[in-house]
Amino acid sequence: MNQDPATTAEGIAQAITAFVSKRVGADVPADQDLFESGLVSSLFAMELVVHLEQAFSVQILGDDLKRDNFRSVRAMTALVLRLNGAGHATGA
Amino acid sequence: MPPVPEPLADAGEFVDDLVGDRAAEWDRAGLIPGDVLRALAARGLLCAEVPETFGGLGASSAANGEFTARVGSRCSSLRSVMTSQGMAAWTIRRLGDPRQHAEYLPELAGGRLAAVAFSEPEAGSDLSAMTTTIEPDGDTVVVRGQKVWTTAAHYADMIVVVGRYGSGAAAVVVPASAPGVTVTRVPRPSGCRAAGHADVRLDGVRLPATAVLGGGQPLMLLVTTALAYGRMSVAWGCVGILRACLDAARQHARTRRQFGRTLARHQLVGRHLANLLTGEQIATRMCEHASRCWDSGSPEMVVASVLAKQVSAVQAAQGAAAAVQVLGSAAAHEGHAVERAYRDAKLMELIEGSTEICQLILSDHAVSMPAR
Repeated sequence: MNQDPATTAEGIAQAITAFVSKRVGADVPADQDLFESGLVSSLFAMELVVHLEQAFSVQILGDDLKRDNFRSVRAMTALVLRLNGAGHATGA
Repeated sequence: MPPVPEPLADAGEFVDDLVGDRAAEWDRAGLIPGDVLRALAARGLLCAEVPETFGGLGASSAANGEFTARVGSRCSSLRSVMTSQGMAAWTIRRLGDPRQHAEYLPELAGGRLAAVAFSEPEAGSDLSAMTTTIEPDGDTVVVRGQKVWTTAAHYADMIVVVGRYGSGAAAVVVPASAPGVTVTRVPRPSGCRAAGHADVRLDGVRLPATAVLGGGQPLMLLVTTALAYGRMSVAWGCVGILRACLDAARQHARTRRQFGRTLARHQLVGRHLANLLTGEQIATRMCEHASRCWDSGSPEMVVASVLAKQVSAVQAAQGAAAAVQVLGSAAAHEGHAVERAYRDAKLMELIEGSTEICQLILSDHAVSMPAR
């Protein structure tokens, strides 16, 4: 809790945006639906899972693998924030 | 054979002793003795990547890969059983919650056998045609469907069944002994004959809702996730097939004499040996790279697994055919290591994504991947 959550969310969103944009070779707005725009295949969806786990030291298991959590940069940011938060709560 | 890294350093010899010269006999009988499977399962060797916290060996992908190749060089049927067990454990790790990890993973690392059921009569490569359903009913679920070609299902104590669940998909852990489960062996498969391939009927199998892993994911993401481990295991198994074929072919070519010199001194035979060595090295390097991606948690692991499977299976099928050609009549009888390899390798081009499906995935990737 030593960081302003808004800054953290922004930082996470920026990092995810950078990864997704590089991978698809196009600018990706935070609210863009990655599935509807056809940017994300099953293979890429799994790459996103592995990337988020590695980049933010979280584990994305079970129900959290739902498509809605990966629909946009914003959704992935919320997922990471929630999983990080859960980690802090357990540690506290 | 290259040494197997820790924590599986002794496991290579253990398997060598356990299999001995019996792989041909198992192939002909279509059965691996139960005590052999239990001996491996009880030591956690069939799913060696299960973390130590769950009673597993905690092997890296690289170490388990080398071990998988060793098993594959001795007996592809046994290696197939290992692939199924590892894939079940991986699917539970990936899709399960902490309580399910604690329940199932120690069982898999401690001796119980498992299979994973994907394919259906109308849903082979096109898994989107899957019709098996997992329906919630109070605090239970009811599983209905027909699965085919489920590797190791004949031996399995539990079968991880993939099916439709709500608007998405889920996997469910089904005890083979549950009422409504019927396991029928595939009669006389063409390859990996002792791997226990079976059709699995699920007639309204009622299970506690706690047996459902995940739930609500898109079907293809779930399948891709589960298959990722299977592809690595098959790929390393194909490395083993190539090593067995290379060994048999070079030994024969060094000793067998025709037209006054050894076969190896005949250039057309020499080319087969060169191609076998090349194929074995290409497959090994692809697998090593993919395992490094797994062990470092790189997102590249997803594509690298498909590449490793694709390359290794194609190389194994070609390499086994070349080895048959070099050995000639010496290997032209049922059960010979090279004759088995020829049949087994071809099957590896059909499963965990056929060669053509892997090519489609890779071509999609080629189109969408970022510029270098």
